[in-house]
Amino acid sequence: VQNVSCRRLSAGGAMNIFDRRMKRQQRSWAASLQDSSKYDYLREEVGSRVADRVYDIARTFPLALDVGCGKSHIAEHLSKDVVQRLLLTDITHSALKQRRSCEMPTHCVLADEEFLPFRENTFDLVVSSMSLHWINDLPGALRQIQQVLKPDGVFIGAMVGGETLYELRCSLQLAETEREGGFSPHVSPYTAVTDLGNLLGQAGFSMLTVDIDEIQVHYPGIFEVMNDLQGMGESNCAWNRRALLHRDTMLAAAAVYKEMYGNEDGSVPATFEILYMIGWKPHESQAKPAKRGSATASFGDLSKISQPTPSDQA
Amino acid sequence: MSGPNVWSRSRERIRRFPELFAQCAGEAAAYGKCVAATTTGRQELTKDLCAKEFEALKTCFTNAGHKLHFLFVKHSFCSIWTERH
Repeated sequence: VQNVSCRRLSAGGAMNIFDRRMKRQQRSWAASLQDSSKYDYLREEVGSRVADRVYDIARTFPLALDVGCGKSHIAEHLSKDVVQRLLLTDITHSALKQRRSCEMPTHCVLADEEFLPFRENTFDLVVSSMSLHWINDLPGALRQIQQVLKPDGVFIGAMVGGETLYELRCSLQLAETEREGGFSPHVSPYTAVTDLGNLLGQAGFSMLTVDIDEIQVHYPGIFEVMNDLQGMGESNCAWNRRALLHRDTMLAAAAVYKEMYGNEDGSVPATFEILYMIGWKPHESQAKPAKRGSATASFGDLSKISQPTPSDQA
Repeated sequence: MSGPNVWSRSRERIRRFPELFAQCAGEAAAYGKCVAATTTGRQELTKDLCAKEFEALKTCFTNAGHKLHFLFVKHSFCSIWTERH
Protein backbone atom coordinates (compact mmCIF):
# COMPACT_ATOMS: atom_id res chain seq x y z
CA VAL A 1 0.00 0.00 0.00
CA GLN A 2 1.50 3.25 -1.10
CA ASN A 3 -0.15 5.43 1.50
CA VAL A 4 2.20 8.32 1.98
CA SER A 5 1.70 10.78 4.78
CA CYS A 6 4.32 13.06 6.14
CA ARG A 7 2.79 15.86 8.15
CA ARG A 8 5.70 17.59 9.74
CA LEU A 9 5.39 19.23 13.12
CA SER A 10 7.68 22.18 13.60
CA ALA A 11 9.07 23.11 17.00
CA GLY A 12 6.17 25.45 17.74
CA GLY A 13 3.67 22.63 17.24
CA ALA A 14 2.33 24.17 14.03
CA MET A 15 1.58 21.95 11.07
CA ASN A 16 3.69 22.17 7.92
CA ILE A 17 1.45 20.60 5.34
CA PHE A 18 1.72 22.92 2.38
CA ASP A 19 4.68 24.05 0.33
CA ARG A 20 4.01 27.79 0.40
CA ARG A 21 6.70 28.54 -2.13
CA MET A 22 5.02 26.20 -4.61
CA LYS A 23 1.62 27.77 -3.88
CA ARG A 24 3.07 31.21 -4.64
CA GLN A 25 4.43 29.89 -7.96
CA GLN A 26 1.11 28.25 -8.86
CA ARG A 27 -0.91 31.36 -8.11
CA SER A 28 1.57 33.58 -9.90
CA TRP A 29 1.42 31.34 -12.98
CA ALA A 30 -2.39 31.26 -12.88
CA ALA A 31 -2.67 35.03 -12.54
CA SER A 32 -0.42 35.62 -15.54
CA LEU A 33 -2.39 33.38 -17.91
CA GLN A 34 -3.77 35.18 -20.95
CA ASP A 35 -7.31 34.06 -20.17
CA SER A 36 -6.97 33.92 -16.39
CA SER A 37 -10.31 35.69 -15.91
CA LYS A 38 -12.19 32.68 -17.23
CA TYR A 39 -11.15 30.77 -14.10
CA ASP A 40 -12.35 33.47 -11.70
CA TYR A 41 -15.97 32.35 -11.46
CA LEU A 42 -15.68 30.70 -8.08
CA ARG A 43 -13.68 33.52 -6.50
CA GLU A 44 -16.11 36.09 -7.91
CA GLU A 45 -19.11 34.27 -6.46
CA VAL A 46 -17.56 33.80 -3.02
CA GLY A 47 -16.21 37.36 -3.02
CA SER A 48 -19.67 38.77 -3.62
CA ARG A 49 -21.11 36.65 -0.80
CA VAL A 50 -18.44 37.91 1.62
CA ALA A 51 -19.29 41.47 0.56
CA ASP A 52 -22.97 40.71 1.34
CA ARG A 53 -21.96 39.80 4.87
CA VAL A 54 -20.02 43.04 5.21
CA TYR A 55 -23.16 44.95 4.19
CA ASP A 56 -25.16 43.06 6.80
CA ILE A 57 -23.17 44.88 9.46
CA ALA A 58 -24.60 48.39 9.70
CA ARG A 59 -21.30 50.17 10.15
CA THR A 60 -18.76 52.19 8.25
CA PHE A 61 -15.23 50.84 8.41
CA PRO A 62 -12.56 53.52 8.05
CA LEU A 63 -9.74 51.04 7.39
CA ALA A 64 -10.06 47.49 6.12
CA LEU A 65 -7.68 44.71 5.18
CA ASP A 66 -8.15 41.93 2.61
CA VAL A 67 -5.91 38.97 3.43
CA GLY A 68 -4.95 36.78 0.46
CA CYS A 69 -6.96 39.02 -1.85
CA GLY A 70 -5.88 37.53 -5.19
CA LYS A 71 -7.28 39.88 -7.80
CA SER A 72 -9.50 41.47 -5.14
CA HIS A 73 -12.93 39.98 -5.65
CA ILE A 74 -14.54 41.41 -2.51
CA ALA A 75 -13.79 45.12 -2.85
CA GLU A 76 -15.50 45.56 -6.21
CA HIS A 77 -18.84 44.87 -4.48
CA LEU A 78 -18.24 47.30 -1.62
CA SER A 79 -19.02 50.99 -1.61
CA LYS A 80 -17.11 53.94 -0.16
CA ASP A 81 -19.79 54.37 2.51
CA VAL A 82 -19.02 50.96 3.97
CA VAL A 83 -15.25 50.79 3.61
CA GLN A 84 -13.32 54.05 3.37
CA ARG A 85 -9.79 52.75 2.81
CA LEU A 86 -8.65 49.27 1.91
CA LEU A 87 -5.34 47.45 2.11
CA LEU A 88 -4.87 44.46 -0.17
CA THR A 89 -2.35 41.75 0.58
CA ASP A 90 -1.41 38.67 -1.41
CA ILE A 91 1.65 36.46 -1.80
CA THR A 92 1.87 36.98 -5.55
CA HIS A 93 2.76 40.18 -7.31
CA SER A 94 1.02 39.20 -10.56
CA ALA A 95 -2.36 38.81 -8.86
CA LEU A 96 -2.11 42.23 -7.21
CA LYS A 97 -1.13 43.78 -10.54
CA GLN A 98 -4.40 42.55 -12.03
CA ARG A 99 -6.62 43.60 -9.16
CA ARG A 100 -10.18 44.63 -9.99
CA SER A 101 -11.09 48.25 -9.63
CA CYS A 102 -13.22 49.43 -6.74
CA GLU A 103 -14.71 52.63 -5.35
CA MET A 104 -12.42 53.20 -2.40
CA PRO A 105 -8.69 54.02 -2.42
CA THR A 106 -6.55 50.89 -2.05
CA HIS A 107 -2.95 50.14 -1.18
CA CYS A 108 -1.24 46.87 -2.07
CA VAL A 109 1.13 45.01 0.19
CA LEU A 110 2.97 41.87 -0.87
CA ALA A 111 2.68 39.65 2.20
CA ASP A 112 2.20 36.06 3.23
CA GLU A 113 -1.07 35.43 5.10
CA GLU A 114 0.91 33.69 7.84
CA PHE A 115 3.15 36.70 8.49
CA LEU A 116 1.06 39.84 8.49
CA PRO A 117 3.33 42.90 8.64
CA PHE A 118 0.91 45.14 10.54
CA ARG A 119 0.77 46.56 14.04
CA GLU A 120 -1.81 45.46 16.56
CA ASN A 121 -5.13 47.28 16.72
CA THR A 122 -4.90 48.74 13.25
CA PHE A 123 -7.95 47.66 11.25
CA ASP A 124 -11.69 48.05 11.73
CA LEU A 125 -12.44 45.21 9.34
CA VAL A 126 -10.49 42.24 8.02
CA VAL A 127 -11.84 40.12 5.19
CA SER A 128 -10.47 37.04 3.53
CA SER A 129 -11.82 34.96 0.70
CA MET A 130 -10.57 31.68 -0.74
CA SER A 131 -7.04 31.78 0.59
CA LEU A 132 -7.07 30.45 4.16
CA HIS A 133 -7.33 26.83 3.08
CA TRP A 134 -3.70 26.79 1.99
CA ILE A 135 -2.32 28.13 5.26
CA ASN A 136 -0.13 25.84 7.32
CA ASP A 137 -0.63 27.40 10.71
CA LEU A 138 -4.30 28.35 10.55
CA PRO A 139 -4.65 28.94 14.32
CA GLY A 140 -1.64 31.26 14.15
CA ALA A 141 -2.96 33.14 11.12
CA LEU A 142 -6.35 33.63 12.80
CA ARG A 143 -4.61 34.89 15.91
CA GLN A 144 -2.65 37.40 13.85
CA ILE A 145 -5.85 38.59 12.22
CA GLN A 146 -7.40 39.04 15.65
CA GLN A 147 -4.38 41.02 16.78
CA VAL A 148 -4.33 43.46 13.87
CA LEU A 149 -8.02 44.17 14.43
CA LYS A 150 -9.06 47.06 16.65
CA PRO A 151 -11.23 46.16 19.65
CA ASP A 152 -14.82 45.76 18.39
CA GLY A 153 -13.39 45.15 14.93
CA VAL A 154 -14.75 42.29 12.88
CA PHE A 155 -13.26 39.53 10.75
CA ILE A 156 -15.34 38.12 7.92
CA GLY A 157 -13.79 35.20 6.10
CA ALA A 158 -14.62 32.54 3.59
CA MET A 159 -12.59 29.44 3.00
CA VAL A 160 -12.99 26.25 1.10
CA GLY A 161 -13.48 23.33 3.47
CA GLY A 162 -15.61 20.39 4.54
CA GLU A 163 -16.38 17.98 1.76
CA THR A 164 -15.05 20.09 -1.09
CA LEU A 165 -14.15 18.13 -4.21
CA TYR A 166 -15.15 14.83 -2.60
CA GLU A 167 -16.11 13.51 -6.03
CA LEU A 168 -12.61 14.11 -7.35
CA ARG A 169 -10.97 12.75 -4.23
CA CYS A 170 -13.02 9.55 -4.20
CA SER A 171 -12.66 8.90 -7.92
CA LEU A 172 -8.89 9.25 -7.79
CA GLN A 173 -8.73 7.13 -4.65
CA LEU A 174 -10.76 4.29 -6.10
CA ALA A 175 -8.99 4.38 -9.46
CA GLU A 176 -5.56 4.38 -7.86
CA THR A 177 -6.50 1.49 -5.57
CA GLU A 178 -7.80 -0.62 -8.44
CA ARG A 179 -4.99 0.21 -10.83
CA GLU A 180 -2.00 0.53 -8.49
CA GLY A 181 -2.95 -1.25 -5.30
CA GLY A 182 -2.85 1.80 -3.04
CA PHE A 183 -3.47 5.52 -3.10
CA SER A 184 -1.89 8.76 -2.00
CA PRO A 185 -3.69 12.01 -1.31
CA HIS A 186 -4.34 14.24 -4.31
CA VAL A 187 -6.86 16.60 -2.77
CA SER A 188 -5.55 18.70 0.10
CA PRO A 189 -6.92 18.27 3.63
CA TYR A 190 -9.71 20.67 4.59
CA THR A 191 -10.95 22.18 7.82
CA ALA A 192 -14.25 20.75 9.00
CA VAL A 193 -16.96 23.22 9.84
CA THR A 194 -17.11 21.82 13.36
CA ASP A 195 -13.45 22.71 13.92
CA LEU A 196 -13.80 26.25 12.68
CA GLY A 197 -15.73 27.45 15.72
CA ASN A 198 -13.01 26.14 18.02
CA LEU A 199 -10.26 27.70 15.93
CA LEU A 200 -11.92 31.11 16.00
CA GLY A 201 -12.57 30.88 19.72
CA GLN A 202 -8.99 29.93 20.47
CA ALA A 203 -7.78 32.83 18.35
CA GLY A 204 -9.62 35.20 20.66
CA PHE A 205 -12.70 36.01 18.61
CA SER A 206 -16.12 36.36 20.22
CA MET A 207 -19.70 36.39 18.95
CA LEU A 208 -18.87 33.79 16.33
CA THR A 209 -20.98 32.95 13.32
CA VAL A 210 -20.08 30.03 11.13
CA ASP A 211 -22.17 28.86 8.21
CA ILE A 212 -21.64 26.67 5.23
CA ASP A 213 -22.62 27.09 1.60
CA GLU A 214 -22.44 24.51 -1.12
CA ILE A 215 -21.59 25.51 -4.66
CA GLN A 216 -21.82 22.78 -7.27
CA VAL A 217 -20.16 23.40 -10.62
CA HIS A 218 -20.78 21.12 -13.57
CA TYR A 219 -17.98 20.18 -15.95
CA PRO A 220 -17.74 18.03 -19.06
CA GLY A 221 -15.45 15.59 -17.26
CA ILE A 222 -12.70 15.02 -14.70
CA PHE A 223 -10.14 16.49 -17.02
CA GLU A 224 -11.89 19.86 -17.18
CA VAL A 225 -12.28 19.84 -13.38
CA MET A 226 -8.54 19.45 -12.91
CA ASN A 227 -7.73 21.92 -15.66
CA ASP A 228 -9.92 24.59 -14.11
CA LEU A 229 -8.47 23.97 -10.65
CA GLN A 230 -5.04 24.53 -12.11
CA GLY A 231 -6.20 27.71 -13.85
CA MET A 232 -7.59 28.97 -10.55
CA GLY A 233 -4.20 28.49 -8.92
CA GLU A 234 -5.75 25.79 -6.73
CA SER A 235 -3.49 22.88 -7.67
CA ASN A 236 -2.35 20.75 -4.80
CA CYS A 237 0.81 21.93 -3.09
CA ALA A 238 0.82 19.66 -0.06
CA TRP A 239 4.25 18.23 0.75
CA ASN A 240 2.81 14.72 0.64
CA ARG A 241 1.34 15.12 -2.83
CA ARG A 242 2.38 12.67 -5.47
CA ALA A 243 3.91 14.46 -8.46
CA LEU A 244 2.84 11.92 -11.06
CA LEU A 245 -0.54 10.66 -12.06
CA HIS A 246 -0.26 7.65 -14.34
CA ARG A 247 -2.22 7.87 -17.54
CA ASP A 248 -3.96 4.59 -16.79
CA THR A 249 -5.04 5.91 -13.39
CA MET A 250 -6.26 9.10 -15.01
CA LEU A 251 -8.33 7.11 -17.50
CA ALA A 252 -9.68 4.89 -14.73
CA ALA A 253 -10.54 7.90 -12.55
CA ALA A 254 -12.40 9.54 -15.46
CA ALA A 255 -14.53 6.41 -15.85
CA VAL A 256 -15.23 6.11 -12.11
CA TYR A 257 -16.08 9.81 -11.74
CA LYS A 258 -18.54 9.66 -14.60
CA GLU A 259 -20.17 6.46 -13.45
CA MET A 260 -20.48 7.34 -9.78
CA TYR A 261 -21.31 11.03 -9.94
CA GLY A 262 -22.18 11.82 -13.56
CA ASN A 263 -25.33 13.73 -14.46
CA GLU A 264 -27.87 12.59 -17.00
CA ASP A 265 -26.61 14.99 -19.62
CA GLY A 266 -23.12 13.52 -19.45
CA SER A 267 -21.57 16.27 -17.35
CA VAL A 268 -20.03 15.70 -13.93
CA PRO A 269 -20.47 17.83 -10.80
CA ALA A 270 -17.74 19.16 -8.55
CA THR A 271 -18.76 20.32 -5.09
CA PHE A 272 -17.21 23.27 -3.32
CA GLU A 273 -18.18 23.69 0.31
CA ILE A 274 -17.51 27.25 1.36
CA LEU A 275 -17.23 27.93 5.09
CA TYR A 276 -18.14 31.50 6.04
CA MET A 277 -17.00 32.81 9.39
CA ILE A 278 -17.60 36.03 11.30
CA GLY A 279 -15.72 36.82 14.48
CA TRP A 280 -15.43 39.97 16.59
CA LYS A 281 -12.53 41.26 18.63
CA PRO A 282 -13.81 41.63 22.20
CA HIS A 283 -14.83 45.05 23.49
CA GLU A 284 -16.75 46.16 26.59
CA SER A 285 -19.65 47.42 24.50
CA GLN A 286 -20.37 43.91 23.22
CA ALA A 287 -23.15 41.87 24.81
CA LYS A 288 -21.86 39.37 27.32
CA PRO A 289 -23.48 36.28 28.80
CA ALA A 290 -25.47 37.25 31.91
CA LYS A 291 -23.96 36.49 35.34
CA ARG A 292 -25.08 33.34 37.09
CA GLY A 293 -27.91 33.99 39.53
CA SER A 294 -29.03 37.19 37.80
CA ALA A 295 -32.20 35.67 36.38
CA THR A 296 -35.46 37.42 37.24
CA ALA A 297 -37.85 34.79 35.88
CA SER A 298 -37.94 31.03 36.04
CA PHE A 299 -38.44 28.53 33.24
CA GLY A 300 -41.11 26.96 35.42
CA ASP A 301 -43.20 30.09 34.92
CA LEU A 302 -43.39 29.52 31.16
CA SER A 303 -46.56 27.48 31.45
CA LYS A 304 -48.22 30.39 33.28
CA ILE A 305 -47.79 32.76 30.36
CA SER A 306 -51.25 33.40 28.88
CA GLN A 307 -52.09 33.98 25.20
CA PRO A 308 -51.44 37.59 24.13
CA THR A 309 -54.71 39.61 24.04
CA PRO A 310 -55.60 41.72 20.96
CA SER A 311 -54.75 44.89 22.89
CA ASP A 312 -51.20 43.60 23.45
CA GLN A 313 -50.63 43.09 19.73
CA ALA A 314 -50.58 46.79 18.85
CA MET B 1 2.90 22.79 -36.04
CA SER B 2 6.26 22.81 -34.27
CA GLY B 3 8.75 20.04 -34.81
CA PRO B 4 7.88 16.78 -33.09
CA ASN B 5 9.39 16.35 -29.65
CA VAL B 6 8.44 14.38 -26.55
CA TRP B 7 6.75 17.25 -24.71
CA SER B 8 4.58 18.51 -27.54
CA ARG B 9 3.47 14.95 -28.33
CA SER B 10 2.50 14.15 -24.75
CA ARG B 11 0.79 17.51 -24.33
CA GLU B 12 -1.13 16.81 -27.51
CA ARG B 13 -2.25 13.45 -26.09
CA ILE B 14 -3.34 15.04 -22.82
CA ARG B 15 -5.24 17.72 -24.71
CA ARG B 16 -7.15 15.16 -26.71
CA PHE B 17 -7.98 13.04 -23.66
CA PRO B 18 -11.59 14.28 -23.31
CA GLU B 19 -12.50 13.72 -26.97
CA LEU B 20 -10.95 10.24 -27.01
CA PHE B 21 -12.63 9.38 -23.72
CA ALA B 22 -15.99 10.43 -25.11
CA GLN B 23 -15.73 7.75 -27.76
CA CYS B 24 -15.46 4.97 -25.21
CA ALA B 25 -18.53 5.71 -23.14
CA GLY B 26 -19.69 2.09 -23.00
CA GLU B 27 -16.37 0.67 -21.85
CA ALA B 28 -15.96 3.50 -19.35
CA ALA B 29 -19.40 2.83 -17.88
CA ALA B 30 -18.61 -0.88 -17.52
CA TYR B 31 -15.35 -0.20 -15.70
CA GLY B 32 -16.96 2.49 -13.57
CA LYS B 33 -19.80 0.17 -12.56
CA CYS B 34 -17.35 -2.56 -11.59
CA VAL B 35 -15.42 -0.23 -9.29
CA ALA B 36 -18.52 1.51 -7.93
CA ALA B 37 -20.03 -1.85 -6.97
CA THR B 38 -17.32 -2.31 -4.32
CA THR B 39 -18.43 0.84 -2.50
CA THR B 40 -21.87 -0.59 -1.76
CA GLY B 41 -21.27 -4.33 -1.62
CA ARG B 42 -19.25 -6.27 0.86
CA GLN B 43 -16.44 -6.93 -1.59
CA GLU B 44 -13.34 -4.84 -0.94
CA LEU B 45 -11.64 -3.06 -3.80
CA THR B 46 -8.26 -4.62 -4.54
CA LYS B 47 -5.70 -4.20 -7.28
CA ASP B 48 -6.83 -5.41 -10.71
CA LEU B 49 -10.27 -6.37 -9.47
CA CYS B 50 -11.71 -4.81 -12.65
CA ALA B 51 -8.73 -5.49 -14.91
CA LYS B 52 -10.85 -7.05 -17.65
CA GLU B 53 -13.10 -3.99 -17.91
CA PHE B 54 -10.11 -1.67 -17.76
CA GLU B 55 -8.29 -3.46 -20.58
CA ALA B 56 -11.40 -3.10 -22.76
CA LEU B 57 -11.49 0.63 -21.94
CA LYS B 58 -7.80 1.09 -22.60
CA THR B 59 -8.00 -0.73 -25.94
CA CYS B 60 -10.92 1.42 -27.04
CA PHE B 61 -9.09 4.57 -25.90
CA THR B 62 -5.88 3.66 -27.73
CA ASN B 63 -7.75 2.79 -30.90
CA ALA B 64 -9.65 6.06 -30.78
CA GLY B 65 -6.29 7.81 -30.53
CA HIS B 66 -4.93 6.02 -33.60
CA LYS B 67 -8.07 6.80 -35.60
CA LEU B 68 -7.87 10.50 -34.75
CA HIS B 69 -4.15 10.61 -35.44
CA PHE B 70 -4.70 9.06 -38.85
CA LEU B 71 -7.45 11.56 -39.66
CA PHE B 72 -5.21 14.43 -38.55
CA VAL B 73 -2.30 13.26 -40.71
CA LYS B 74 -4.61 12.69 -43.68
CA HIS B 75 -6.05 16.18 -43.26
CA SER B 76 -2.63 17.88 -43.12
CA PHE B 77 -1.47 15.92 -46.15
CA CYS B 78 -4.56 17.01 -48.07
CA SER B 79 -4.11 20.67 -47.15
CA ILE B 80 -0.42 20.57 -48.18
CA TRP B 81 -1.41 18.97 -51.47
CA THR B 82 -4.05 21.61 -52.21
CA GLU B 83 -1.63 24.40 -51.33
CA ARG B 84 0.86 23.17 -53.86
CA HIS B 85 -1.67 23.00 -56.64
